[in-house]
Formats: sequence, C-alpha cells, structure tokens
Amino acid sequence: MSASPLDIIVFAPLAPIFGMLLFWFIQLLFIESQKYMLSGISKEHEPFIRFTNFIGIFFQTVCHALGYTVTKHGISEFYIGVHYGKVAPKKNKTGLFEWLSNGFLFLGPFFIPSFLLLICLIFLLNNGFIFYPLESYTFSENMIVFGNNIFHFSYSFFSFLATIDFMHPGHFGFFIMFILLGLGIRPSYIGEKTVKKVDIFYDLKNIRYKLLHKPLYIVFFLLSAYIFSYLSVLFNLNWYVGLFSLFGWLSIIAITALFFAHIFIFLIKVTDLIPGTFRYISLMLFPVSYVILRILFFLVPIPYITTISLLLSIIITSGLIILFLHSLTNTFKFSEPMKSHKKSK
Amino acid sequence: MDQDEILENESVEKILSPHPLSFMGLQSLCIFLIVWGLLVAWLVNFSDFRSYFINPILIIVVWAFGLLLVGVIASLLTVLWRIFFIYCAIVGSGIGIVFWLGYLNDSGVFLPVFTVVISIIGFLLVECFRRSHKYVISNQRIIFKGGVVVKEERTLRYDKISDINSKQGVLGQIFGFGTIIPISQSGFGLGADTSFAAGGVQAGKKRLKILGIFGGGREVQTPRTRSYYELHGIFPYKEVKKIVENLVQGSVITTYQQEQVKFQEEQVDLQKEMRDLLKKQGTLNRSLNNKEEDIES
Repeated sequence: MSASPLDIIVFAPLAPIFGMLLFWFIQLLFIESQKYMLSGISKEHEPFIRFTNFIGIFFQTVCHALGYTVTKHGISEFYIGVHYGKVAPKKNKTGLFEWLSNGFLFLGPFFIPSFLLLICLIFLLNNGFIFYPLESYTFSENMIVFGNNIFHFSYSFFSFLATIDFMHPGHFGFFIMFILLGLGIRPSYIGEKTVKKVDIFYDLKNIRYKLLHKPLYIVFFLLSAYIFSYLSVLFNLNWYVGLFSLFGWLSIIAITALFFAHIFIFLIKVTDLIPGTFRYISLMLFPVSYVILRILFFLVPIPYITTISLLLSIIITSGLIILFLHSLTNTFKFSEPMKSHKKSK
Repeated sequence: MDQDEILENESVEKILSPHPLSFMGLQSLCIFLIVWGLLVAWLVNFSDFRSYFINPILIIVVWAFGLLLVGVIASLLTVLWRIFFIYCAIVGSGIGIVFWLGYLNDSGVFLPVFTVVISIIGFLLVECFRRSHKYVISNQRIIFKGGVVVKEERTLRYDKISDINSKQGVLGQIFGFGTIIPISQSGFGLGADTSFAAGGVQAGKKRLKILGIFGGGREVQTPRTRSYYELHGIFPYKEVKKIVENLVQGSVITTYQQEQVKFQEEQVDLQKEMRDLLKKQGTLNRSLNNKEEDIES
C-alpha cells in the first residue's frame, strides 16, 4: 500500500500526539475525580489528606527544581512541606528556558510518579515493553502501532496485577508504592485553605495562558515533534511512535494507580459508616483474609493460587463490609433513598 | 501531677505526653527488624533462590550480614553507635541460641521468627519509654519528667528561658505533633555537632617512609537535649507552642515596663519623703500648740 506524501509529511506525526493527549486527558479526569473523593473525607481524615498532599507537593517541588536545574536557572530556595512547596530560581530566564522549566512543573507531577513505577515494572514484568516496528509511516500505521504498543503493555501490566503475589517482597513493595503514588499523582492541594501555587486550576490557567498568549511555544513543540518524526522516517526507525508510546504507558500506569487509589479512598469512606471496632476490623479484613487463604493454599495446593486468593479476599472483604453495614448501620434498610424521606418531611 | 507538687498561685495549663509516632527513629529500627525477618524467611523458604540456602551457615551469614550492615549505616547516619551495638547483640544472641539449642538445621525458620519476636519486644520497650514521659505546663513553669527505671525531672521557670527552638518533621506535619526545646540562660538544651577530618600520606613504593596525618575539627552549637528535658513530640504542636511562647513572653519585662517600674519606685520614694515631712510638720505644730497653751495658762 503506497502512502501519500501529504499523509507522511503532515498527518502521520500527529497520530501518536493525539493518542498521548487522549490518555493524558483521561488521567486528568481521574485526578479530578480523586480530588473530589478526597475532599469528601477531608474533615474526618485530616492526617491522611495531609499525607496525600505531601506526596503531590513533593513530586511537584522536585519537578520544579529539576526544571530549574536542567535549564540552568539555578536554585536559590527549596522547601517541601505538607501545605506547600517552594522553589525559587537564582536567575530569571525568559523564552525557551522559562517554558522548559514551566513544562517540567506542569507535566512532571503527572508523569514522574508513574515513571518511577515503570522503572519498578521493568524488574517485575516479563515481556511488556515491546515497541512494534512500522511498516509504513502513515497516520493510520502510526496510530495502529501506537495502539499495539499500548495494548501489549496494558495486557502484561493488568496480567501482572491480576496475578500479583503479596507474599513476594517485590510485588508487595510495588503495590504499596503503587497505592501511595496513586494518592499523590496530582499537582494540587486539598485542605482548609487552597494555596494557589499548587492548585491544579493554577496550572491549567497557566497552560491556557501559554497556549493563548505564547503560541510560539506550541509551534516549537510541534516543530520538534515533526523533525523527530522525519528523522525516524529517514533512519527507518520506530523511535517517534515509541517515545509517545512511552508517555502512553506512563499515563496507563497513572490511571490504574489512580483507580486503585479510588478504591482505597472508597474503602475508607465506607468503613467510616461502620461504628466501633468493626471499622478497624473492616480495614484489616483484606490483608488478614489474604494471608489465611495463602496459608491454606500452601497446605492444600491448587492452580492459580495468587489470583484465586486475591479474588476470594476481595469477595470476603466486600461481603463482610456489606454485612457490617447492613447489621450495624441503617444503610440498605430503606428501599427508597433517605433524601426522598427528608424532602417529604 | 500531684496536688502537693503544685506551688502557691500555680495553675496547670496542660499535661502532655509524646505522640505515639514521635519516636519513629527508634520504631523504624524495630520495623526494619520485622521487614528483614520476613524477607529472610521468604528468601530462604519460598523464593527462587532457596536452593542456594541448603547450607544453614549461609542463612546465618546472610541474616547477620544484613542486620550488621544496616546497623553500621544507621549508626553512621545518626552518629549513635548504640544502634550498631544493639544489632550486634541481636546477631550474637540469635547465633548463640541457634548453636546452644541445636536449631542449626532449622535456622531458616528460627532466625526470622527470632528477629520478629525481638522487634516486637523492641516496640514494647519504645512504647514504655514513650509513656514514661510527662510534661506539665503551668502558669509559672514547665516540668519535664521521664525515665523508665531512673526518674529524671527538670523544672524550668519561664523567666529563665532565653530561647525557644521548635521543630516539626514530615510525620509531625502530617499528624500535627512537634518538638519544642526551651533553652535556658545557662545553655541547658544546647548540644554540639562535632565533625573531624583526618588524612594520612604515605610516600615510598614498598616500605613506609613518610607518614603525615592531618586533622581538623569544628563544633557547632545546636538545640539538642534528651527527650525528657524537652517537649518531645507533643500534640497539638501549634497550640502548645503558642501557650509556651505566650507564657514566656508574659514573664519577660519589656523596656517600657522597666521604665514604669523605675518611675513608680521614684513616686514611692517621693511619697515617703512627703509623708516624713508631713509627720515632722505635725510634730512641730503639736509642740507649738503645746507651747501656746502653756503660755496662755
């Protein structure tokens, strides 16, 4: 199949950019949803919220400092706290250097935590990191190869998660890091008072400002992407699609980490409804049931031990929490929602 | 605090204890023991490398090496060789029990269990140490009490506090606790960070010919004291800090107040002089009146 020069020169480089942007926006949606969930439990769990803030602020501050170091701004002031982080440059540079340092600040918190997880996954996944070769350099081929790269990685990654072995120190350590970083993949602050410097809307406003008032930067980004794409075509390599696939992988890791963090926050929110010691029992159900099942299956071996133990632990935890909610609280006792009763009063 | 310990006109503002997570430095040593015990258990019994651990001596060597290595690192970082000696004692007792009770062939199970048990004991000891601390903040002084076996107590009056140092780590910022070190005028509450560097020079290829050692040291004064002489890991940190600072501020005489006191003293002297003069005048008047009455009679 012959490709038209217009496709190769104009449209083909855009395919992986669109793909990456799609995943990045999904990640942004998950971040917003997580912020909403966290703000819902902020009054009852202030230390937990401060902890998640700290992780987010830590990555943002480190990215900011990294940006200033790479662009040779220098760092005159550096501070990381639970409520805010501060990085002040030694020299104020403008133009490309300023944009690069801002780029680190805006994009770093979204990708650096998942990059750390990706490094861990290199040691844990067997064959997830495959870059498919390109047959031609068209828009559709680029999109298909980008999709294949993403699919292959996602398949390996989700298979790993489905067969994760919490008795393996590497798997267990990865999962803890996965949840912790999932709670902090956001450049924002949740608390009593919002600090503008680390608020996501501050960042988005800045991005919007850059797009509207400094279009030269966008032109520069697209130009770099196109030049890199042409070089890949010239040397007959899949580097261009590979680079954007890498960002796609990072987004997938971040989205999954955020999803698991959602489950964790939901668990905290639900157990808050349960009174007394049963609240703590509910939180301990999953690890305790998993350990008991693993000991049981160690004595009575069966195939797919890790997956079955994981599934049964999830079922036991969910079932018992529902039972606690039903027997100890008024949840599930009304056929109609409480709101309708309040309105009728 | 007992009633007989309270002074005249003294009222207790707060009685505090350190936060359960404020001794994380000591607790992390116990956490490491648990992690290392579980890791060794997995490595020796369940991992893909378990075939390498058929020889029980290798299990003991790996277990001991890991503990001692972390002990050395922790000691160097905290400049506390006590940690290394504690880990040495754990290694020594573990190996001693293995050989004494003949658990050599079961060391893959015994040593992890032993490590976890020791860490649990460690947690209990740290908790006992934490609970031995008691800080009483009254309107006149701060009383620091501590010590598990030997009871230590420090009383500090607010007018004797020259400086207040406060610090809050990441855990403290998350959970709202922190440490306040009141430094007295005598320098109680200050420690010193000492560093020393030395280097040797050897000249000559085969035999030692010239040897020179160059050294240098420097000392930095830093707020540091034992946990029972400071308000260690107190909760709620901000509230307590404000109370202490207000009480210290309340006992400090400002320049304006000093001028006022001096002025009042002058006033009192003047009033005394006037009173004496009036007395003298009174006696004079009375003597004059008496004389007049005598003349009239």
